[in-house]
Amino acid sequence: MSPTSRLTAQALTLAYEDRVVVDGLDLEIPDGRVTVIVGPNACGKSTLLRALGRLLKPRSGTVLLDGAELARLPGRDIARTIGVLPQSPTPPDGITVADLVARGRQPHQKWWQQWSEADERAVAAALEHTGTADLADRPVDELSGGQRQRVWIAMALAQDTELLLLDEPTTYLDIAHQVEVLDLVRRLNHDRRRTVVAVLHDLNQAARYADHLIAMKAGRVVAQGRPADVVTADLVREVFGLTSVVVSDPVTGSPLVVPGIPWQPAAAD
Amino acid sequence: MTRTESAAADTASARTATRPAGYAVARIGGASFLVHRRAVAVAGLLTVLLAAAVVLYLCVGDSFVSPVQVIDVLLGRPSPDELVVGTLRLPRLVVGLLAGAAFGVAGALVQTVARNPLASPDVIGVTHGAGAATVAAMSFGLVGHTTLPYVSVAGGLGAGLLVYAFAWRRGLHASRFVLVGIGVSIALGSLTQLFLTKGDYLVAQQAKVWLTGSLNSRGYDQAAPLALVLLVAVPAVLWAAWAQRGASFDDDTAVALGIRLDRMRLGLTLIGVVLASVATGATGPVDFVALLAPQIARRLTRTAQIPLLSSALTGALVVVVADLLARRLFSPVELPVGVLTAAVGAPYLMWLIARTRSRSGGSTS
Repeated sequence: MSPTSRLTAQALTLAYEDRVVVDGLDLEIPDGRVTVIVGPNACGKSTLLRALGRLLKPRSGTVLLDGAELARLPGRDIARTIGVLPQSPTPPDGITVADLVARGRQPHQKWWQQWSEADERAVAAALEHTGTADLADRPVDELSGGQRQRVWIAMALAQDTELLLLDEPTTYLDIAHQVEVLDLVRRLNHDRRRTVVAVLHDLNQAARYADHLIAMKAGRVVAQGRPADVVTADLVREVFGLTSVVVSDPVTGSPLVVPGIPWQPAAAD
Repeated sequence: MTRTESAAADTASARTATRPAGYAVARIGGASFLVHRRAVAVAGLLTVLLAAAVVLYLCVGDSFVSPVQVIDVLLGRPSPDELVVGTLRLPRLVVGLLAGAAFGVAGALVQTVARNPLASPDVIGVTHGAGAATVAAMSFGLVGHTTLPYVSVAGGLGAGLLVYAFAWRRGLHASRFVLVGIGVSIALGSLTQLFLTKGDYLVAQQAKVWLTGSLNSRGYDQAAPLALVLLVAVPAVLWAAWAQRGASFDDDTAVALGIRLDRMRLGLTLIGVVLASVATGATGPVDFVALLAPQIARRLTRTAQIPLLSSALTGALVVVVADLLARRLFSPVELPVGVLTAAVGAPYLMWLIARTRSRSGGSTS
């Protein structure tokens, strides 16, 4: 049985000014799964994610949410279904953690109804789920990178959306914090049945955490499917132009890409 | 666990799951408002200071009136000082209070949209638009004395919206907004100079006084339209205070929260431009109040966005204190209030610029 898909793209063409980044792309995001998009720098993966989260208007083609064109839906309605964490979000100056996370409730509020019990519950749950409840009174500026990223995820969680789009959520984090954030993403997917789409830089992390892997190159989808089926030495060569050996991850059994040819000084002819 | 213990545990867990730290929730019927506690305390303090400044303003003048007498007049009790306090000093004070509040809120809104603590209605063309229109009308003798404020309002509104339209290119970009505003302001400033040099000498003299921003011989004729606009603006400002919460994020995050950026920015700018134009119509351009008040207020409340109520109160306070000094400093000569707000404002502006640069260009809006 193939999984259903609330969020799909049809003949999607994305461009910045005159530069076309994604050209005629079709895509289905499987519900209730963790989908990870990988690819070399400038392959259009972040651009694609921005379009899926309506941060970028398509040049042509459409993104559909439950069959309705995203561009025609009211922003608030989308914000109650799709949460997006952009690549480098900027917090308001001097804001505290609890204040920031509470702002994730904005799409559920009106200017004359600024706070309800549902808001209270969602914020408390988001803080607890991300392990940031202890930080609630701290200014966001003073947090470490890993804490800050968890706080942003908490804000997206408080938004209480069924779909969650994350643009390189592990960039700038050290490896322990990367694992922490990715474990959190898996847990959200498992405990709260959230559909997650993430762009990741690291192919091995993608293979390890994804249910569904999408490999992109030059604005096109080269391969997609279960990481075990998709990640092969051929694919790595095709997408990244890298010779490698793919072995089984000793911890999870997921495919692990090991670069194949070590660097050597040029032979003196 | 006994019953009281579990009840205590319940309240404790309710407390941990509560509103964001530092906020209280005010409920009125079905409506609910998030209220920043420190901002409320600051607003209370500013109100007390403002009340003190008001009484002092009414006491001091060519003849000193005791605070007790002033309060009698304010409460409408019969008093021998009714003429001096109620008829001579009070109307001018009311104009100052209202204009200061309007400038303060206008500055807060423009700084929010421009994401720039140095932005203000002076920068985005409103002041110079009002100035150019008024001076033109004066020099060419187009309209009578009573219609002049309306010309000024039209000039300010026109210039502000023109800048907004020019800065628009598939959305409003904050720095383009400020740059276009500065460009248009310079152009309108030159135009004003042209009118001043071409026009009649006496008219030019009058126009110059107007251009400094003054409360001299202002009264209820100027206060009434200003009060009306401020009253109508109250719900708009409540909406603006809410919209600001989303405006203080980067664009992507704001859109992800379902905020219609274009509509929100246009709304905030419109309210700001209307308030600044109407206030300028009443007093002429009073320099720096719109720039100063929001920045002072925000440093006091330490909120993540510029507090509108405290900006209004700070604006009113600055104008009242400056006008008190303007009236008394070189008595019997009464200076235009704009001269003194500028004297306080200029050093502050320089300090602000130095501070912004030392923060490696980080935006402090």
